Amino acid sequence: MKKQVLPALIGIVVALLAGLAILWAQGYPPLQSYAALFSYSLFSKFAFFSTLDKATPLILTGLSAAVGFGSNCVNLGQPGQFLIGAIAVTAFGIAVDLPAGLMIPLSILVALAAGACWSGIAAGLRRRFKMDEFITTLMLNFIADYFTLYLISGPMLDRRMYSPLTPMTNPGAWLPIWNGFGSAFLVAIAAFAVVSVLWNRSKIGYEWRAMGQNPIFSRTGGCRNDSAYLWAMLLSGALAGLAGGLMIMGGMQHRFVKGIGANYAWDGVMIAIVANNNMVATGLYALFFSVLQTGAMGMELETSVPSEFSLVLQAIVVLFVVASRESTRMLINNIAAELRMRRARGRDKGMGDGRHASNG
Amino acid sequence: MDSIIKVYPPDTLALDDVDLAVEEGEIHSIIGENGAGKSTLMKVLYGMTPPSGGEVHFRGRKVRFATPREAVASGIGMVHQEFMLIPSYTVYENVILGAEPAGRFGTLRHADTKPKVKELVDTYGLNIDIDSRIGDISVGAQQKVEILKLLYRDVDVLIMDEPTAALTPQEAGELFARLRGLNKAGKTIIFISHKLDEVLELSDRITVMRKGRRVTTVDNRGLDKAELARAMVGRDVVFSVEKMPASPGEIVFEARALKYVDENWVTRLEDVSLDVKRGEIVGIAGVEGNGQYELVQLVTGLLPAESGQVFIGGHDVTGEDVMARRKLMCYVPQDRKVSGSAQNMSLVDNAIMTHHRLNPQIEDRCEALLSSGRCRAFTSRLVEDFGVLAPQLDAPISSLSGGNQQKVVVGREFMLDTDFILLDQPTRGLDVGSIEYVQKEIVRRRDAGAGCLLISADLDELFSLSDRILVMSRGRIVAELRPEATTREEIGEYMLGAKEPQEAWRVREGIAK
Repeated sequence: MKKQVLPALIGIVVALLAGLAILWAQGYPPLQSYAALFSYSLFSKFAFFSTLDKATPLILTGLSAAVGFGSNCVNLGQPGQFLIGAIAVTAFGIAVDLPAGLMIPLSILVALAAGACWSGIAAGLRRRFKMDEFITTLMLNFIADYFTLYLISGPMLDRRMYSPLTPMTNPGAWLPIWNGFGSAFLVAIAAFAVVSVLWNRSKIGYEWRAMGQNPIFSRTGGCRNDSAYLWAMLLSGALAGLAGGLMIMGGMQHRFVKGIGANYAWDGVMIAIVANNNMVATGLYALFFSVLQTGAMGMELETSVPSEFSLVLQAIVVLFVVASRESTRMLINNIAAELRMRRARGRDKGMGDGRHASNG
Repeated sequence: MDSIIKVYPPDTLALDDVDLAVEEGEIHSIIGENGAGKSTLMKVLYGMTPPSGGEVHFRGRKVRFATPREAVASGIGMVHQEFMLIPSYTVYENVILGAEPAGRFGTLRHADTKPKVKELVDTYGLNIDIDSRIGDISVGAQQKVEILKLLYRDVDVLIMDEPTAALTPQEAGELFARLRGLNKAGKTIIFISHKLDEVLELSDRITVMRKGRRVTTVDNRGLDKAELARAMVGRDVVFSVEKMPASPGEIVFEARALKYVDENWVTRLEDVSLDVKRGEIVGIAGVEGNGQYELVQLVTGLLPAESGQVFIGGHDVTGEDVMARRKLMCYVPQDRKVSGSAQNMSLVDNAIMTHHRLNPQIEDRCEALLSSGRCRAFTSRLVEDFGVLAPQLDAPISSLSGGNQQKVVVGREFMLDTDFILLDQPTRGLDVGSIEYVQKEIVRRRDAGAGCLLISADLDELFSLSDRILVMSRGRIVAELRPEATTREEIGEYMLGAKEPQEAWRVREGIAK
């Protein structure tokens, strides 16, 4: 763990410095822009809470990808699972009207189940027909995309509106907002805690990790890779579905609007890759990326740096962190090798040729 | 080669200031344990890996080959342990591959080269049909093709890296005759091995390496094996494991008429029946690829049998999955990197495999969770009991040496404490010290009443450990022999099918039909 922290920190610092250079080269005031970036994401109550709001889906899609990749399931269907989770919660929230105490846990379950169903299709296709989940999950994204679009512009369309969106869900399904703090974040934290314990401490989690590192090893050791695979896929899908569901339950909108998925799912994939499928790192990078994304608006406001600049920063972080993970290690190893060789040389000189005298 | 130093990052000193002089026209052997640096030295010479320091001179000229291709062009060729041949191509096509005689428009001109290849085969008496497919010919013949490839490229120095590892005793004898023939024809041969007998039989001069250093170079005149072994290992070596005669008890493992057909409808295993009793070690000999792999897979439950039954400790486990069987057996797989461990996972994570489902001692209070404290305690016990040299329990297992990794695997399995032990090449790729340790441990388990089934490609190991030896050939058991009443040559003949299967096993064959 400690060994991973150093390259990650180096990566982030170098990325921020590189961003500074880019801003300067483009003629923007670099320090001022950074000040705006962080003050609009961290240094006020409202800013901080909106960062947490943004982090909520990122944590969940990040966990989804980390669980998948970490157990050797290439689930790239987070966008689809996200949308299916969101539309299922919307439908449930429109059709059912119960008090919040029941409605909220049920909606969460619906979101989890819907996402799991969607990834379960891919898992089933692999089990039955040996189809690679890499391609099926990607294809299911398109199906989910157009299927939800059909629903919100046809059967579930809010007739009073002029653009494709659904009516609002019943208020029982709304997650409370306390003084600006969206409680959806707490759901994400709870999910994070459960998944971390599962992943790091449970027997099935151990089998997932072993399968992710070497499936032949886990199979030889007696693990049931088939069922471990299925459960990993279901959990991965459920987490992405929950991310979608919380978009409806939290916030102010409480309806499924076209484009609701934004880029949350792919950001999650990216976060898991940067975090090397480590759960804690996934959570931290999700927070960091949401700081960048939230602050970017403020930066645009203050110094007119286009908010897309946050994408540039994210990309640089990814490149530096992922690259530095390998290259720092190689660099350190090569330096060690060089020192070792010098030591070997030095000692031989010191010993003279006595050793060779004994040769046959 | 002068003062060659090679450091593999981060700080593995593979070659520590090694000098080596090979004279033209000699057979020069390099011996040493695994990890002594023999192969690395040759890789440096052959241009496969750059040296960290030192110089290579070839025929008085300082050279530094960047790639094997350059080495071959200068006249140095190497035959690797693993052959680099394309199975679906013919012998001839494999020989010219990479040095194709291209005519105009890039078409191949076989008219010139085919006779040349044929001539080479005749000149050196290689005795192979150059139009047969690689996939159809034996391992020994494939090795000839590798040599032929180099002869075609006109090399003068042949490096042979452990060439006998995959051969039967007969094939090895043939190889030696061939190498002597090549040597007479003026080729210089560098022969790498860790088998003392071979080296003594073949070479003019012998260089002994140990732990990345050259210990000595001697003329092969009046040398004896013990002397050479001492130089190699650095201490006196006991050549056989001390063990009391076996006292077999009741049957702990039984296979009945096992048959396996692979996905290409090829029958890999047919009518294999055998049993293992408590307190004995049953060895299985055979050239690799004659059904041993499939037998292991059927016994562990990794592959489903076509027909037949498996009993462990009196239970019929034929329909059971791997984990159910692992309650009754422990299994040391043949390749610790592929199936015995996950190299990137920590020592603890590698040590608790299989135990995580079967051993309640490492569970947390909640049954579905593992207690990290207890897992660590378990691992420390393994490390202590099996003498594993490990820096930290949290370090990835890849930071351990091969021998120590294998001790972890063996320790993990033996700690399952079952009455039946399946050992698939348990000492492959280990240094002499670790081999001694693992073998002693196996005998200790036998004496404690466990029944062991040992699959090994190493006849020495089979002879020193087994109480009975079964020979497999083409997916069948062809003979049952007692190590004290047989010879390597006899086993070799059964392995190759040169000798008819024993009466008892032929009868079985009749029943199967």
